[in-house]
Amino acid sequence: MDQLPNLGREHEMLSIMGLNSIEDLFSNIPEEVRRRNPLPLPAPQSEEEIWRDAQHLLGSNIDLDSRPSFLSAGLSRNFVPTMVGMLATRGEFLTSYTPYQAEVSQGMLQAMWEFQTMISELVNLPISNVSMYDASTSAAEAITCAIRVHNKKAVQKDTIYVSELVPPHRMSVIENYVQGSGINVQLLKHDGNGHLDIDAASIANGSCAVYVEQPNSFGILDEGLMELKGKIGVNTALIVGVDAVSLGLVSPPGNWGADIVVGEGQPFGIGPTFGGPIYGIFACTEKYIRQMPGRIVGQTQDTNKKKAFTLTLSTREQHIRRHRATSNICSNETLIALMGAMHMSLLGPDGITLLAKRVAASTEATKKALISIEGVELLFPHSSNFREFVIKVPGDSEKAVSFMDSEGVIAGLPLGLWWTSHSSCILIGCDERTSSSDISSLVSVVKKWIEEVVK
Amino acid sequence: MSDIFSFNGAQNAGWAQPEPILPDSEVLAIIPSSMLRASPPAWPRASEPELVRHYTWLSRRNFGIDTGFYPLGSCTMKHNPRVNERIVNLPGIDRMHPLQPEHQIQGILSIFYEMQEMLAICSGMDQVTLQPVAGAQGEFTAMRCIQEFHRERGDGHRNKVIVPDSAHGTNPASASMCGYEIIEIPSGEDGRIDLDALQSVVGDDTAAMMITNPSTLGVFEPDIARASEIVHSAGGQMYYDGANFNAIIGKTDPGLMGFDAVHYNLHKTFSQPHGGGGPGSGPIGVKKHLSKYLPSPLASRREITEHDGEGVGDGYWYSWISPENTIGKVQQWHGNAGAVVRCWAFYRRYGRELERMSEHAVLNANYLRFKIMNPDKEVLSKVHAMPSDGAPTDFVMHEFTLSMIDMKDKVGVTGKDIAKRLLDYGVMAPTLYFPMIVPECLMIEPTETESKEVLDKFADDFLNVLTEDPEIIKGAPYTTDVSRVDEVWAARNLILRHPGNNSESN
Ligand SMILES: Cc1ncc(COP(=O)(O)O)c(C=O)c1O
Repeated sequence: MDQLPNLGREHEMLSIMGLNSIEDLFSNIPEEVRRRNPLPLPAPQSEEEIWRDAQHLLGSNIDLDSRPSFLSAGLSRNFVPTMVGMLATRGEFLTSYTPYQAEVSQGMLQAMWEFQTMISELVNLPISNVSMYDASTSAAEAITCAIRVHNKKAVQKDTIYVSELVPPHRMSVIENYVQGSGINVQLLKHDGNGHLDIDAASIANGSCAVYVEQPNSFGILDEGLMELKGKIGVNTALIVGVDAVSLGLVSPPGNWGADIVVGEGQPFGIGPTFGGPIYGIFACTEKYIRQMPGRIVGQTQDTNKKKAFTLTLSTREQHIRRHRATSNICSNETLIALMGAMHMSLLGPDGITLLAKRVAASTEATKKALISIEGVELLFPHSSNFREFVIKVPGDSEKAVSFMDSEGVIAGLPLGLWWTSHSSCILIGCDERTSSSDISSLVSVVKKWIEEVVK
Repeated sequence: MSDIFSFNGAQNAGWAQPEPILPDSEVLAIIPSSMLRASPPAWPRASEPELVRHYTWLSRRNFGIDTGFYPLGSCTMKHNPRVNERIVNLPGIDRMHPLQPEHQIQGILSIFYEMQEMLAICSGMDQVTLQPVAGAQGEFTAMRCIQEFHRERGDGHRNKVIVPDSAHGTNPASASMCGYEIIEIPSGEDGRIDLDALQSVVGDDTAAMMITNPSTLGVFEPDIARASEIVHSAGGQMYYDGANFNAIIGKTDPGLMGFDAVHYNLHKTFSQPHGGGGPGSGPIGVKKHLSKYLPSPLASRREITEHDGEGVGDGYWYSWISPENTIGKVQQWHGNAGAVVRCWAFYRRYGRELERMSEHAVLNANYLRFKIMNPDKEVLSKVHAMPSDGAPTDFVMHEFTLSMIDMKDKVGVTGKDIAKRLLDYGVMAPTLYFPMIVPECLMIEPTETESKEVLDKFADDFLNVLTEDPEIIKGAPYTTDVSRVDEVWAARNLILRHPGNNSESN
């Protein structure tokens, strides 16, 4: 209640208007739809009380930093530089909105144009928007964008191909987004090494789009994907979902024929935050520019020919094109993308390389330590992994993870939650902050579990 | 001009990190050599001191609520309480993973549950999901639920969604993404819903109607219950665009008006900061018959037992449940949880007094409209042409629309010119040219967090603009970082990224 500057001055204002009561202002609401009882909610609180309750409630959660943790599944237990939070919460950034008035929004517009440039550099494609809601909606809208571009000439009309290893939550988002256009979603198979069956992928030639992930949901870096564009041809969009951090080490999809690159921006800029707000990356070639979703900033000039920035290509968007818009997205995740830009600019080219090496090193070290345990197997022993890999343990992996949890280690994701066929598997996630001591803790609880099952 | 790509420090002189836990030779051996990146992305090579200055410089070239009055209609740009930012820095939200087991997330689940319940109460709905991350995604999610509802009843042939011509662009765009055909009905002469027009388009093919109330003109639709009846009797569902929820909390609710589903723009009504355009949070609420289709999962609770863990001390154990016929996921996790937590903190500030918030939003809007429309004689004599109401009404709700058409006709000054000139007075311009049915429209929403003095000053400044030399107005703005920007040039040249420092290539 302390947020109302005119509290207690209502009558002063009403009398200027010649009114007696605030209720007069609501007189256009017909009786039949008037609410008569007060809201059955608790009394207002002060800032101090809210902070106390927040500390209590959020303090009762167990956070990832409080113990060794190997839960990733596409999110990163990152370290966000202090500068990011301090500058992104400057009121001029924090409390602005979509920069419709370019003349008083040059700061955010330029920051987003720089962001577009950093994403473009990262994935090596010329165009980036200023963010989607998350990696999944980015993937889904990349697919609908590709359909709009390719369906006319497609031999396999209204058809797209998606890797069968796309995790179920992302698959579900994709299905919700494409079902309205009557799209036929086909799955692409993988071989026994967890690699895409690249020869079989030719079946997608002539369809509208192919969506694959690099690394895939098992954390596997799949060399074969670099030949995929050749198999599916120029008239089928190659859409690649990336682990953005991996691109510090791994060849960007723009180098091997990707038409659209999507991914989760979260590792740059913000903590895992229980899954949101995070932001989706969306980058593409010129061919898709008029069909892509989301806001885009362009350079321009003012009436004095001075360099300036403005939102551009708006005729794709819902506020102009309405039901023919390329997407319904309006509010997006710009503030989080701004935090991402700050983080990326602090890292610089050397920092992103080092960051990727740190994640790769942790992944490899954890993998080596775990396979040295008798009874633990890798699901795919011959793969190169980034951030994640899959182990098989004796017994049911959900029980195993829950046992290790009671021993104080968050051991990863029991893969049976995603695919019932994988109920003995655990998806182990590592990051730049995984330490040797975290790995020792994991090894010892895995050993303990095995003793538990064996006995 | 500060150009981030002009920073060019020496290699490895930037922000430091710990070394990898394996030596370089081992790390590089992990990745097949054909897959190794040849050269890193050409990001700036900047130090922290340089970047802090760069971003501070940028921030000073940006206008937010903290800078000044932000009467951006339909966007509810209210003050963002700062304790909310402090709260989301707690590790119990910042350092949480959405797939952690239930016993590790009791606190956040209890906040989710409280928010679901609070929003259901305020809107007269039965069940709320917090998963959609913006208003538009809420619209899409609700339309998907409605679509499944019809399909299950053997009504899958219902393929049309009705929207008024005053609807926000996301409404038709969201319905269209579900595969619906859009029927736009014209508003009546008075800007209100035309029941005859509605009656003439409903039928066996009607899936739903999407509408906001108060309408985008800022006036309450008195015939809303009748509209609901018409749509329902044709077998359609009623969808409430809750972007204007700030006007009605505690006074009426979409349930009473006959709606089946609603989205909330938490980033507007409940003050999640969305600098530059987001993040938002767009939960939806639905009536019982739609609740089994909601996205998964929902927060739920039961009485705590001794087998459960500690809980949060309120006697309940919280868990996730999945609705019986769920449409699955629209966001990959549980929505914008950080936004939900901020909005929880915002809501707690009002509790059962949320009604006061709406009262003050409506009071401020009416007061500002009164001040603008009733200038003293001296001012009136100097004004080239007065604005006219976007829709005739005695009172408005939390916002109002003004048509500047007389200014245009009389002195050739457009709504856009006036919006740009207002920037010179140190305020953000109102929403321009929306809704599209009002010619030369300015849409003004002061929100409840502005003082009487700010409103008085804005009214004076606004009227003053209308007295100025038309040529001055048309050339505005003058005091901003750049003068009027050329949008056509941007679209024609499409320079969408920095050319880079050294070369054009990567
Ligand atoms: C009336 C109305 N409906 C829907 C929306 C869409 O909400 P969002 O931007 O959160 O997607 C907005 C806001 O932009 C709006 O003003």
